[in-house]
Amino acid sequence: MTLEAFLLLAAALFSVGLFGALSQQSVVMVMMGLELMINGVIVAAAALWYFVSPERPDGQVLVLVAITAMAVEMAAGFAVTTAIFRARDIDMVDAADDLGDRRQEQGQEHGQSREQDR
Amino acid sequence: MTAALWALVALPALTGTVLLVAGRRADAVAAPCAVASAVAGLALAGAVAATRPAAAAPALAGIPANLAVDGLSAVMVLTVTAVHLAVVLFASGELGSDEARARFFGFMSLFAAAMLVTVTATGLLVLLAAWEVMGAVSYALIGYWWRGSERVRSAGLAFLTTRAGDLGLYLAAGAALAGGAGALQLSGLAGLEGVWRDAAVAGVVVAALGKSAQLPFSFWLSHAMAGPSPVSALLHSATMVAAGGYLLVRVEPALAAAVWAGPLVAWVGAATAVLLGVVALAQSDLKQLLAASTCAQIGFIVLGAGTGGVAGASLQFTAHAAAKSLLFLCAGAWLVTLGARDLEGLRGAARRHPLVGAAFTAGALAVAGVPPTGIWAAKDAVLAAALRSSPALYATGLAAAALAAAYAARALVAVWAPALPRSRPHGGEHGRGPAKARRSPGAAPSVGGRAPADGTRPAVARASLRVPLLALAVGSLALGVLALPAAAHWWRALLDVPGERGPAGWEMAASALVSVVVLVGAGLVFARGSARAAVAEEGGAGPGTPARAGNGVASGTGLPPVGRWAADWLGLERLVRGGLVRPTLALSRGLSVFDDRVVAGGVRAGARLGLTAADAVRDRVETAADRSVGAVASAVRTAARWALRPQTGLLHQYYAQAVVALLVLATVFVLMR
Amino acid sequence: MAETVVFAVCAVGAVASGAAVFVVDSMARATFALLASFLFAAVPLLLLELSYLGVLVILMMVMEMMVMVVFMIMYMMNPAGLMPMSMVHNKAGSLAVAAVTFAVLAAGVFLVPWPAREGSPPADPTRQLAEAIMGPHMLVMMLVGMVLFATMVASVVLSTPRGRYDRYGDDLKRTRPDDPIGGGLGR
Repeated sequence: MTLEAFLLLAAALFSVGLFGALSQQSVVMVMMGLELMINGVIVAAAALWYFVSPERPDGQVLVLVAITAMAVEMAAGFAVTTAIFRARDIDMVDAADDLGDRRQEQGQEHGQSREQDR
Repeated sequence: MTAALWALVALPALTGTVLLVAGRRADAVAAPCAVASAVAGLALAGAVAATRPAAAAPALAGIPANLAVDGLSAVMVLTVTAVHLAVVLFASGELGSDEARARFFGFMSLFAAAMLVTVTATGLLVLLAAWEVMGAVSYALIGYWWRGSERVRSAGLAFLTTRAGDLGLYLAAGAALAGGAGALQLSGLAGLEGVWRDAAVAGVVVAALGKSAQLPFSFWLSHAMAGPSPVSALLHSATMVAAGGYLLVRVEPALAAAVWAGPLVAWVGAATAVLLGVVALAQSDLKQLLAASTCAQIGFIVLGAGTGGVAGASLQFTAHAAAKSLLFLCAGAWLVTLGARDLEGLRGAARRHPLVGAAFTAGALAVAGVPPTGIWAAKDAVLAAALRSSPALYATGLAAAALAAAYAARALVAVWAPALPRSRPHGGEHGRGPAKARRSPGAAPSVGGRAPADGTRPAVARASLRVPLLALAVGSLALGVLALPAAAHWWRALLDVPGERGPAGWEMAASALVSVVVLVGAGLVFARGSARAAVAEEGGAGPGTPARAGNGVASGTGLPPVGRWAADWLGLERLVRGGLVRPTLALSRGLSVFDDRVVAGGVRAGARLGLTAADAVRDRVETAADRSVGAVASAVRTAARWALRPQTGLLHQYYAQAVVALLVLATVFVLMR
Repeated sequence: MAETVVFAVCAVGAVASGAAVFVVDSMARATFALLASFLFAAVPLLLLELSYLGVLVILMMVMEMMVMVVFMIMYMMNPAGLMPMSMVHNKAGSLAVAAVTFAVLAAGVFLVPWPAREGSPPADPTRQLAEAIMGPHMLVMMLVGMVLFATMVASVVLSTPRGRYDRYGDDLKRTRPDDPIGGGLGR
């Protein structure tokens, strides 16, 4: 029951969630990873409140804010997932790469078509 | 009367221009036009000689174009127009109807106009213009039968030689301008300051000697014989060669003012008179003999100008013009009718054509200076002035007079000798003489349709041929009147030199005696020689065979070296060719090589250097710069590709990048704090 | 001592079940593993005398996982995990990043000189929190409320298939919206 033990638990939870967020293809699974990470933050905030300044409420408020963020994240995440699935039938993060640079051939085609337009 | 003066020079100029522009279309009317213009010109000349007008027109700033007629100009104008009329009249009858008559008469009229401007010009500017026109037109006239390349070459040589002398006039004009004779008046030359006067006088003297075929320019006159005889009759009696003499007479005050010029000019004239007399004696071709004689006789004019004998020189001008044009016309007439031009072929010519023979005799006697001809009177006046100058000049002049009598005798004997029984006239063909200078053909080429008719054509039957001959013969004899003291006094008053002393009685007697004795003696010698030749001809291989055609008695193979040298016109042409033309050509060739190799080569080398440098820059610098630019570009492209790599659009990779960046930032923040 | 044991068990359980979320094939199992992980992680909060927040986390996570199951079935190709398939990318890289992160965090945990504890926990931490958010930290609570409300509106707008163009026409000129089901405000 020391601060380090709690923080170590928080770090482990955070790292496991990070791994999930980075490695999962499914949007839902990515959101699970994010939940785990926020969970780690909750644990760390609570531990810091208890072991560093229990007389002040700031730690607890922080936990409350983190829980709120988790809820907001879930709601917004699922809404976005629904919207994107409706719009494009996409349920994998890999497929939503519109912001990415196209592969070179596509890029060249783009450039050519743009030149023709010009 | 200013209008008459303008008309005098404008009329032949216009006639000539119109005829030349019209070309062969005007062939039919060319001769009548020219004759009419010449008649009008003679009338106008009489008018201006009587009234002495002066005309002026603006030309350059401060240099007006002035024409004026004083006593000297009056004499010259009358002489020129008279000879011009006679020659044109004769040529209208003689020139074949199928020749380019418009060109011939056009150039003749133009030439006369140029000469008239020359003798009436009071300033160097107008004089130069007319002088140049004369030179150019003389080229066209000497090369009239331009199909013969030899003739064209001769014309070119004559033109170039006189043109080289003409440069003197430019020198004179420049010196006059520099020396302060602002209006370039001829009368102002004497008043120039020292060195400018010397330069101006030297220029005028060179130009005059060149135009007058005096030593050392004489050889061009031999080439000028390539033209038709009427051309020689006009150019080489009263105009072209006489123009130089006239100019010297005109600037006589300047010659006297520049102390060295008078004696120099006088001695050149005397030397020409003697040496060209020897040359004339050695010629076997009648026209060449006459040409050399022209140089010698003009020598007297030059002698007179150099010694201040203006009256004598002017009289010599007029008398020689009449006599020499007459002789050339006679030679031309025989050339047309007999097709002969060498003295050997002309044997008996005077007997066949008694009228021409008589005219020729009158002219020859005048040239010989036998009293009472005009040249006798003129020569004595010149010699009187020479005697006042120096006895040596007088003696030289007398020797020249004796030589004149000798070559006149030679020509006379040749034409009056009885014709050889088998003497054939030799047409344009002539043997290969020892010198090219003697190969100037006088015969018309058969191209012109003027093949020698061997006497089949009635010689000088037409009035247009007879009248000029008779008029000139009468003129050359009648001018002897001026030997009478009263007439001589009038002549001197006419020329505004009343103070000039005429010849004493003993001088006239001496010169007359010399002339007559030499004429008779030489005549006897030559007559015997021609008789011997006739006997040899009887015996067979005579000089009339084609092998020896063109080699007369005096220029046969048996000639002494001096004779050959004289027959070759003193070798002047070879001297000029060797001493002037070849070095000049060699120099120009060398300079051209220098220009090609060094100047142009330098330019080319510069260009090559530039090209090489450009190549080197392209190969080394440019490619390096290119490569470096390319390397920068490709590096940027590669970096851009690398920079694109993270932009995958894949969420999890953005997460990873963000995490890594945060970790790095946190680490840095912690460590750096 | 007992608390330490409970904490260790819960910590190990939380991490293990968290890892299990990304290991198991079945979506249902993953969901419940995540639920387990939250429950395990909520226990230390209770140990820290944060009874309100711990219970809040537990309740919230239970509900959340129920909702999550629905979405799993909606969106996952393999909700039952009957056919084994890997749905991961960049596993090695993610693992490396996670490991390094953990290492850095752990290093931070042990290297950072944490400040000494000031005072002791209040008798009723829930009361402390309540007074804070209704007092000095009111702004935080107001912001949280606004954010939640905005999230509700935004998620409804995002997930609604019919937008205003469907209801009011392409030029939005329709006076009455064309809804499949009547009713609603003012109708």
